[in-house]
Amino acid sequence: MNRRPTLFSLIMAMPLLVWQLAFFLFPLLFLVAISFWTVRNFQMQPDLSFANWERILSRGVFWDAYLRTIVLSTAAAVITSLIAFPASYAISFKMGEKAKRWMIFILIIPFFTSYLVRVYSLQVFLSDAGIVNAALSYLGLGPFSMLNNAFGILVGMVTLTLPLVILLQTFSMNFINRDLIEAAHNLRCGRLRTVFAVIIPSAKVGLVVAALFAFILSFGDFVSPLYLGGGNPPTLSIMITDITKSGQQWPRAAVVAIMMIVTLMTVAFSAISYAYREKGK
Amino acid sequence: MGNENRIINILLKVHIALCLLFIFAPIAGSFVFSLNSDRFPSLPLGEFSTEWYRLIWEDPLVWSGFANTLIVGLTVAVIATALGFGGAYTDFRYNFFGKSFYLALALLPPTIPVVIMGLAMLAFLSRVNLSGTTISVIIAHGVMCSPFAMAIIRLRLSQMDPDLEAASWNMGGNQWQTLRHVIIPFTKPAIFAALFITMAVSFDEFAVAWFVSGLNETLPVKILGFLQGQVSPRINAIGSLAFISSMTLIILAQLLLRNPEEPKS
Amino acid sequence: MKEAIDMTGQPEAFVKFENVVKRFGNFVAVEKADFEIGRGEFLAIMGSSGCGKTTTLRMLAGLEDPTEGAIYLDGEKVNGKATWDRDTPMVWQSLALFPFLTVQENVEFALKMRGVGKEERRQRADKWLEKMQITEFANRNINQLSGGQKQRVALARALVTEPKILLLDEPLSALDAHLKVRMQAVLANLQKELGITFVYVTHSMSEAFSMADRVVIMSRGQIEQIGTPEEIYREPYNRFVAEFLGSANIFDGTVQGPSGDDGWDISYEGGNTILPRSELTDAKQGQSVTFIVSAENMQLSLPGSGQAGIEASVAGEEFVGGTAMVFLETSLGQEIKVQKSHDELSALDLHAGSKVIVHWASENCHVLPGETG
Repeated sequence: MNRRPTLFSLIMAMPLLVWQLAFFLFPLLFLVAISFWTVRNFQMQPDLSFANWERILSRGVFWDAYLRTIVLSTAAAVITSLIAFPASYAISFKMGEKAKRWMIFILIIPFFTSYLVRVYSLQVFLSDAGIVNAALSYLGLGPFSMLNNAFGILVGMVTLTLPLVILLQTFSMNFINRDLIEAAHNLRCGRLRTVFAVIIPSAKVGLVVAALFAFILSFGDFVSPLYLGGGNPPTLSIMITDITKSGQQWPRAAVVAIMMIVTLMTVAFSAISYAYREKGK
Repeated sequence: MGNENRIINILLKVHIALCLLFIFAPIAGSFVFSLNSDRFPSLPLGEFSTEWYRLIWEDPLVWSGFANTLIVGLTVAVIATALGFGGAYTDFRYNFFGKSFYLALALLPPTIPVVIMGLAMLAFLSRVNLSGTTISVIIAHGVMCSPFAMAIIRLRLSQMDPDLEAASWNMGGNQWQTLRHVIIPFTKPAIFAALFITMAVSFDEFAVAWFVSGLNETLPVKILGFLQGQVSPRINAIGSLAFISSMTLIILAQLLLRNPEEPKS
Repeated sequence: MKEAIDMTGQPEAFVKFENVVKRFGNFVAVEKADFEIGRGEFLAIMGSSGCGKTTTLRMLAGLEDPTEGAIYLDGEKVNGKATWDRDTPMVWQSLALFPFLTVQENVEFALKMRGVGKEERRQRADKWLEKMQITEFANRNINQLSGGQKQRVALARALVTEPKILLLDEPLSALDAHLKVRMQAVLANLQKELGITFVYVTHSMSEAFSMADRVVIMSRGQIEQIGTPEEIYREPYNRFVAEFLGSANIFDGTVQGPSGDDGWDISYEGGNTILPRSELTDAKQGQSVTFIVSAENMQLSLPGSGQAGIEASVAGEEFVGGTAMVFLETSLGQEIKVQKSHDELSALDLHAGSKVIVHWASENCHVLPGETG
């Protein structure tokens, strides 16, 4: 009604703003700042030094971890998207309304279970003497080494991200105009070709966003790399937890964190630009 | 629909089943293992046993972790819901310069990796001597849970006839009265759902809590400790109990959001 | 037929819009609205969507603030006064009844907001529930009511504070046709009985003309004409209003010169005609003038009868009740509407394509003052 902010509007809007500024934005900015600080006498001191940056970025260990993290998260994003797609396709196109709602409810359940507990359970499943190897031994196969390697990490990451990716893909495929598909069939486009020619392009934004979320979640995850991958060689997230928990070298951890943020923002930006880029522009 | 290929449909349904199996096997497994006597379960499964439940029942560390989780969860639920309500209403009613910035600030926390959030919060809170306390966990969870509350309440507000607020003003109710007698009654189901869901999110949050809680560990942080030690099997018992309580909260929230007054859309 | 409210001699209008302008950014929603509403008057504001009628109403209610100009309510300038401080209850198009309250609680709401005690609230609400004949629904949730019943609840809710003015924003647009007619009667009677001012916004001409003492016609933010329904119908001000009314034929002509003492000679598409001086007091040669002749006043003759007028051929007929509307098309493509009774029509024996001569008596012309010059 009025242009001037009223007391009422301020009381509604300000608390959240102040809270997030003070406890979300500021700590993140502070993180950037402390990357330039130095540690003297086991205490962080304000400074303007590039020592931390030089130290971290010049070490092979960091770049190994960086590469490893990117490769693992990309693999996780791709694998999860591929596994999810037939499931999302089926939910979106082959299920009635009621079944769809049940599926969505079922897929939301994992979000409210403890990821830690699931990872621990996976340890039991995947260990050399665990459930999966025991079952395979009945068939005369194995045992396979599924822990303390990349396989274990990927299993963990897929467990983490699969429900979300299925939901996001299903959501975006729900919006595809069914007439488009009928038209494609009508024009003698087979089912498989329709998937590639019509469905994927139409749901492009949703598919890319789903993969992006999977990437972001996997990129920052330390639980799977630590408890299913053995923790060595480390991912970036493990580097941060190691550095933080073993001493006061938070400035160095901050450097790693900032590199992670920059990478994520770049990937997110490129992915979204790609997703929203339309043909013919 | 024509063009249905039976075989493909069956394969697709099998695929869905496999995906669900993959997703729920660890959850179901955890529940089964919690009632299993084996320390390192394998096939064939060991005997039925409630040993692990007994152990956690008697472990004071577990109880203190649970107490911390409860205190944090309840407090965070109230704070996050209140903050989220304000944000949702602001988005619903007002347009102003910098609104995009406001919304980004309000809704972005879930997109930041928890390790980074944890580190940032730890550094900041230690600087202001708030680290290592229950309050620090509450502050951090307040940041992370309010987006959920805001989204839930905002969704409910979008279902409201925009004239309802104006009608209340027109009938002589000022903005405070309208908030109390119209907005809040209308969004009540969403407010309760937000309380439950923020509580559930806080219950399960371990990473940031691990960074900032110091010695006042919440239960998930204790679990993290268990993972690193040799007392692992209790995790299943704790996990199963946590799962049941989270599920209860979620189901309650779902029932609340399914408003019996309005026809289902 | 309602008597026109004579605004001259009134000490003070109840509502006064003084050069009110409302802009939303660059968009002008209401342009220089300047008019008064009398106490106890039933005023309709009519126009198609986007014309600014709802915005005008909302400014009166206090839901919008004028960008320029002033609004006076009962002698007091109310610009910037919040809607909850005014007593200008409104009935919404969507009714905006509170879904989480019962009918009784809905009706009591305005009293509760003003701090009226529980007992007194209930009594006053009961009185209005009875007046609107919805007492039996008092404890029901509003979702269980029909459209017409909800309407009555909305009215009771608005009137429970016994205000001096009631605002209505297209309240009947969501109702079925037969319900509409009934509610029109209910509203008209209610207004007469209460004697309070009603400001009624609608896009329906029939609603406005049948219920209102005066009508304000708006188009694209501008007020095109204000007057009683009869005044508007007989003497539309400009082309827009004439076209809106729909039953008049509009002709553009040029003044050729005086015709006798009491007329002007006008040339137009169909030839020449004479406009009486009463319609056009002063004119210069070459001046453009637009005049209308209503469909009822059109006369038809057959060609060869020697009658002067416009040549046209029959394009179609439409029957409404006991009369027929004949649509003619001139050689230049203009459509002319002629209203005749069945008897008159059968005497002429017309069918599609028949050629006729259209003419009228010059005293049946009306010049549009807004289009002259």
